Amino acid sequence: MFLINCPYCGERDQSEFSSGGEAHIVRPKQPKELSDDQWAEFLFMRKNIKGVQFERWNHAHGCRKWFNMARDTSNDKIHAVYKMGEKPPIK
Amino acid sequence: MLSYNSVVNDSIKYNDLTISVVESITKINLRGKKRDFITKIGKSISILLPTESNTSSNNEDLNLLWLSPDEWMLYENEKINSENDIYNLEDELFKEISKINYGSVTNITDHWVMINLKGQKVYELLSTSCPFDFKNFKQNKGSVVQTIFNHIDVIIHHKKSNDLNLFVRRSFCDHLLSWMRDAASRM
Ligand SMILES: [Zn+2]
Repeated sequence: MFLINCPYCGERDQSEFSSGGEAHIVRPKQPKELSDDQWAEFLFMRKNIKGVQFERWNHAHGCRKWFNMARDTSNDKIHAVYKMGEKPPIK
Repeated sequence: MLSYNSVVNDSIKYNDLTISVVESITKINLRGKKRDFITKIGKSISILLPTESNTSSNNEDLNLLWLSPDEWMLYENEKINSENDIYNLEDELFKEISKINYGSVTNITDHWVMINLKGQKVYELLSTSCPFDFKNFKQNKGSVVQTIFNHIDVIIHHKKSNDLNLFVRRSFCDHLLSWMRDAASRM
């Protein structure tokens, strides 16, 4: 079983959560001024690294709140869980 | 108010476990963040909003469950006796909260079905298909958990020792009940 520590509800099984992909992607302020390539970069391109990745998660079957997580994609070890709008507590 | 035929009219009884649908119970969803919202709720229904996660507060007639940092569910102990009953509480809260934009009040009486689970084997039944660890939940009266049970979203309220109220969305109720009946018959 893979447990995730929801910042609001506490430790819960992973099956209660859904992943929202990479975190901290800033929406461009003036989308109209971007080229198609630049817009596609924002919309589709994700790092998908092997190692610690910053992700958004949603406690879909619990409190339904979004939060951020630093997860090692190679071994599923969770290094940090932090709220939306907060900076990653680790580098 | 919806009029419909309950799947289980009587309760289903097993050794050390009784499953009964309790209809109709007034249920109201409350959402808000403002300080005024919190104090208004307390004043209107004389219960303090539980701010600690996974907990509830109650008085003789009402139960107030924590669902999220800005969302709660209120439900009554007594069944609805007349068509008017259901609207009194809602009207009162709507006037005090929704109308003046302190938060939102939504009547969800027909959205959720309340199923009462009673007996020594309630946690054994839940453990058949629930990923939640009930160790602390079991020890603390008033605990609340939103989790999945047989892949279905449920809210479970620890009312008394071995006496739980489980809320399930109406469209899933039939399926969940027959599934519980099957699980309970093998325990
Ligand atoms: Zn949560």
